[in-house]
Amino acid sequence: MALIDIRDLHVSFGEVQAVRGVSAAVAEGESYGIVGESGSGKSTVLRALCGLAPITAGAVTVVNEPLGRRRSAAFHRRVQMVFQDPYASLHPRHTIDRVLSEPLAIHGFADRESRILQALDEVGLGAGFRFRYPHQLSGGQRQRVAIARALILEPRVLLLDEPTSALDASIQAEVLNLLDRLRSERGLTYILVSHDLAVVAHMCERLLVMQHGRAVEELTRDSLRARSAAEAYTRALLSASEGYTPAGATP
Amino acid sequence: MTLLHVDNLRVTFPTRQGPAEVVRGVSFALGRERLGIVGESGSGKSQTGRAILGLTPPPGRATADRLSFDGIDLCRATPRQWRQLRGARISMVMQDPKFSLNPVMTIGRQLIEAARAPRAEAHDRAMAMLDAVQIRDPARVFAAYPHELSGGMGQRAMIAMMLMAEPDLLIADEPTSALDVTVQIEVLRILDRLVEDRGMGLIFISHDLRLVGSFCDRVLVMYAGRVVEELAAADLAQARHPYTQGLLNCLPRIEGGRRPLPTLQREAGWAL
Repeated sequence: MALIDIRDLHVSFGEVQAVRGVSAAVAEGESYGIVGESGSGKSTVLRALCGLAPITAGAVTVVNEPLGRRRSAAFHRRVQMVFQDPYASLHPRHTIDRVLSEPLAIHGFADRESRILQALDEVGLGAGFRFRYPHQLSGGQRQRVAIARALILEPRVLLLDEPTSALDASIQAEVLNLLDRLRSERGLTYILVSHDLAVVAHMCERLLVMQHGRAVEELTRDSLRARSAAEAYTRALLSASEGYTPAGATP
Repeated sequence: MTLLHVDNLRVTFPTRQGPAEVVRGVSFALGRERLGIVGESGSGKSQTGRAILGLTPPPGRATADRLSFDGIDLCRATPRQWRQLRGARISMVMQDPKFSLNPVMTIGRQLIEAARAPRAEAHDRAMAMLDAVQIRDPARVFAAYPHELSGGMGQRAMIAMMLMAEPDLLIADEPTSALDVTVQIEVLRILDRLVEDRGMGLIFISHDLRLVGSFCDRVLVMYAGRVVEELAAADLAQARHPYTQGLLNCLPRIEGGRRPLPTLQREAGWAL
């Protein structure tokens, strides 16, 4: 059985139906991408998984635990999220040490000292960053801290919401390489949400294209590379991500 | 024909550690063409665009050996001359329509304000302009407030406003970065048509090398306040500077390729 099983997920905020019947199954160790434009509901799917958005209808099972209104502490130890904006997702008045020790305290881990040092080392920051504040770090360094915070509980699943879209291209490459390495070292399962098809094609074996809260189609990386998309919307996304083509050159 | 001459442009901000030069001797000439300025955050690309319009935020200071637009010396321009240029002959489009539109005025009123023409005439021009930027329901957008529009619509309204005065030069600072990819291409088509049909000059500032390479005629690559390479957009793949090569190589591709992605190894010499 799949590690994460989403069946006919609906998310509504009052009148607004943000997600309208999305299904997906993600196996252990897989990296699964969700692509779409703003308002497509791609981030809402992730937020519904980790409990930041209500599941209005449908069934979601994560590591054999059917998700209800509340998530157990064990769930949060297994499933962690990395957010888009590294400037907004770290507390400006907490040192990196405090950011990293909070989840350890909540989940009652004992050897905090060594875990913090190990987590900093794994994301390529080193112990020298431990007592700094977020404003003393660059965007790429902050995103590494956010990844360290997620990994410090040794989760099995990482939910990545546009982890590199606020970063420069050269920093994006470093963060993507870091995520890639951590996945192969630890056998993590990723769900990565992005508007950038190239990032998803690089990181994920399978991907789901979403539009207006619905799933448009599911593709494998190979079929994406072969440009064998069945839906017109996916083809439009593909041609738009190639760059600009003068009018008339494309139908 | 050369529209804009920039020679040895420097922008400096005072800091506690002494003056910080963020643009360090940028020179270029612009005709009626699409010129791309690419670089990462902090490369000085946006400050270059602002300095051309005399919009360097104080306490920053911009100096140049020569900064001239259509024969007018911008270094010595009086406030009166600036008022005649800004918005009328040189316009600027910023990245995010949320911050550059007036939130308490309808789009229509803002467009009419930009037209500097009798009201009835301005109204007709505004509607025509909204139509020209591919807004399907111009009457609705005309009466709408900025918060009632999506990001793509807002950015198109912004461009319509900048074009009301039919400028000779448009400085577009990341005009499409806040937009979805499919909308981005539509906005670029509009800009493209304006360059082709009206002979407008366009400075397109962006961090997206792939986009600039496919859209512009010529590209300046900036690093640490300097232009490290200038080349025709078509020759981008043959870039010679290691920074440009590094920027191109570190982008993931749909076709796949290297794993891990090559990262950019910065050399101290580039910033000298």
